[in-house]
Amino acid sequence: MTTQSMPAKPDSGLRRSLLAFLPLVLLVGIVSAFLATGGSLVGLIGTNPPQPDVFDIRRVEFERGQIRIKVTNPQTDDLRIASVTVDDAIVPFSVDGPETLKRLRSSTILVNYDWVEDDPISVGVTSSTGIETTQEIAAAVETPTASPRSVLGYGIIGFLVGIVPVALGLAWLPSLRRASKDWLAAFMALTGGLLTFLGAEALTEALELQQTLPSPLGGTGLVLLGLAASYLGLVLLSRRFSARGGGGSGTVLGGLSLATLVAVGIGIHNLGEGLAIGSSFAFGELTLGTFLIVGFMIHNVTEGIGIAAPAAERSAIPIARLAALAVIAGGPAIVGAWIGGFLASDLLGVLFFAGAAGAAFQVVIEVGRYVARRAPGGLASPYVIGGFVAGLATMYATGLLAG
Amino acid sequence: MAAVPMTKVALAMGTGRGTGTPSVHDHAAMGHAAMVGDIVPAPGGPDALEAVTAPPPPLPHAPGRLREYTLAAVDRDIEVAPGVTFPAWTYNGTVPGPVIRATEDDLLRVNFFNGGAHPHTIHFHGIHPANMDGVFEIVEPGRSYTYEFPARPYGMHLYHCHSTPLKKHIHKGLYGAFIIDPPEPRKPAQELVMVMNGFDTDGDGENNFYTVNGLTFFFAKYPIKVSRSKTVRIYLANLTEFDLVNSFHLHGEFFRYYPTGSSDAFEYTDTVMLCQGQRGIIEIDFHNVGRFMFHAHQSEFTELGWMGFFEVVD
Repeated sequence: MTTQSMPAKPDSGLRRSLLAFLPLVLLVGIVSAFLATGGSLVGLIGTNPPQPDVFDIRRVEFERGQIRIKVTNPQTDDLRIASVTVDDAIVPFSVDGPETLKRLRSSTILVNYDWVEDDPISVGVTSSTGIETTQEIAAAVETPTASPRSVLGYGIIGFLVGIVPVALGLAWLPSLRRASKDWLAAFMALTGGLLTFLGAEALTEALELQQTLPSPLGGTGLVLLGLAASYLGLVLLSRRFSARGGGGSGTVLGGLSLATLVAVGIGIHNLGEGLAIGSSFAFGELTLGTFLIVGFMIHNVTEGIGIAAPAAERSAIPIARLAALAVIAGGPAIVGAWIGGFLASDLLGVLFFAGAAGAAFQVVIEVGRYVARRAPGGLASPYVIGGFVAGLATMYATGLLAG
Repeated sequence: MAAVPMTKVALAMGTGRGTGTPSVHDHAAMGHAAMVGDIVPAPGGPDALEAVTAPPPPLPHAPGRLREYTLAAVDRDIEVAPGVTFPAWTYNGTVPGPVIRATEDDLLRVNFFNGGAHPHTIHFHGIHPANMDGVFEIVEPGRSYTYEFPARPYGMHLYHCHSTPLKKHIHKGLYGAFIIDPPEPRKPAQELVMVMNGFDTDGDGENNFYTVNGLTFFFAKYPIKVSRSKTVRIYLANLTEFDLVNSFHLHGEFFRYYPTGSSDAFEYTDTVMLCQGQRGIIEIDFHNVGRFMFHAHQSEFTELGWMGFFEVVD
């Protein structure tokens, strides 16, 4: 490239930046012009159906003698809360926030009501145009508030379904160490299978949940965002691990590094799992039974095996490191249970589940590269194929327990 | 149903009302049955239903006398519950429409102008020639039609639009009360008209609100003041669409119910049930003073707006 054609002038940098802003300035101008005259364009086309005037009922909370209904306006036109019903009966109400909601704005409706514990109940919010949005609640149960008792309760649930089973799974480490190379590869493949299962499960969950969001907020775009962010985040993390392990870029992770990566992936998944359990309990959708907790524990023991398999090739791992792995993989279940129980935002739920899917898929690829390089016979070995299918099957079978 | 008004709701909502009406349960029954005062979700001011609730006075029997009314179909957004509007089709701007009253053997003339956007008619219940029946003589928007026939038989009747789709034209609000007085005048009374109806504001074929005379909980917010020494006469009609029946129930008292008001036969009761189009006359002689509730004895209708009070004084 020659430099003579562009003599450096003192203002050329400034001019270039101004030039870069020109499309933006033009865009703002055109958008303003359209907004000023947009109505006439609609007139040209000739159809402009009315807005549906349907509220988005985000959350219904129960406390003794009171029901709180959080509503959002999902449409472009303003929406006014005019009438409120509980079980098809008009009730007096007050509104914490504006009664007329602008686009995507929320308010909480307070209704003094003697609701019946464990009974199904429905709430309805009617707009000023008479359109009623109703929400059925399967069972009215008191919404937990963040008291030391409930924080402890959700903490214990998270501990039981997260850390305990992972730690139990890790206890298979000595047995795995004695396994032959073929069998170790089979267990690595099993890890891959169960992570694939978790990823698919989380992705489905994210896609289902995004459909319940108001359309301007939801969309598969949000799922894609969460998926890509966590996938690429783990790519960065694995690059850092391999760099620290002395290998250059493109090196296959192994041993403790791979085990840590698997633990991080499973941890992100368990955050979503804790969130789901926490919010289900908060909304009275799940029976808080020992059976359910036991189901999740058995389900998650397999996650411990997943972490132990890559760690098995290293002979001596300090117990503190193993404990750290269990906390990385299982601890997020506690945090998730707290978020789900006390905040329960569907928006966060979508992001968490999408993130869990992204993390799982990235770790599957990492495990796959490891198996392809280290396993006798590579990916086509019957041990590997059998292990992978067994991983899927185990997750499916133990998932039945968790309902 | 809680017979004693609960003050809990009123107090909780910060209105400070309810003094003198002790609360019997501490936290039970925060119900609508007990809603009193400013928290009652009724639209409009105290006089909002004057025109459709108070019938014109009866006139003595004078065969052949002309009684002339003018009705116009008007499309109009009306407020049926606080802040909730309903795009109604009305006679003269209200739902129900104005009360038409004549004495038996009067010549009734109703000049009808269709100012709405759809074809309408007026179909009267009673005895009249076929071309006065408001079924085949469809009145297009901007057109007029004059209904003229001798008023008979005496009783409580009604009128409504008979254009198709019938369900739509009725639930949109085209109906009203039609009283024919007997040749022998009824004894003097405090007279009220009550048309029971419903409003399907979201178009799903189910009513979102139930009322008498068009406004939810109106007579709960503004109880009807009556005297123990004077008979209360209610001209009651059911024009509820979508639901099979509606009903009227009075607390703490019995009344005489004259089906269709067309004979002297009555039932002594506190609850009557009416199909759509059925109507009758209720006569109440209150034994006690105080606040007495009246409502549909379908709890759902009660809690969706069809409930009110009589305030009986000496």
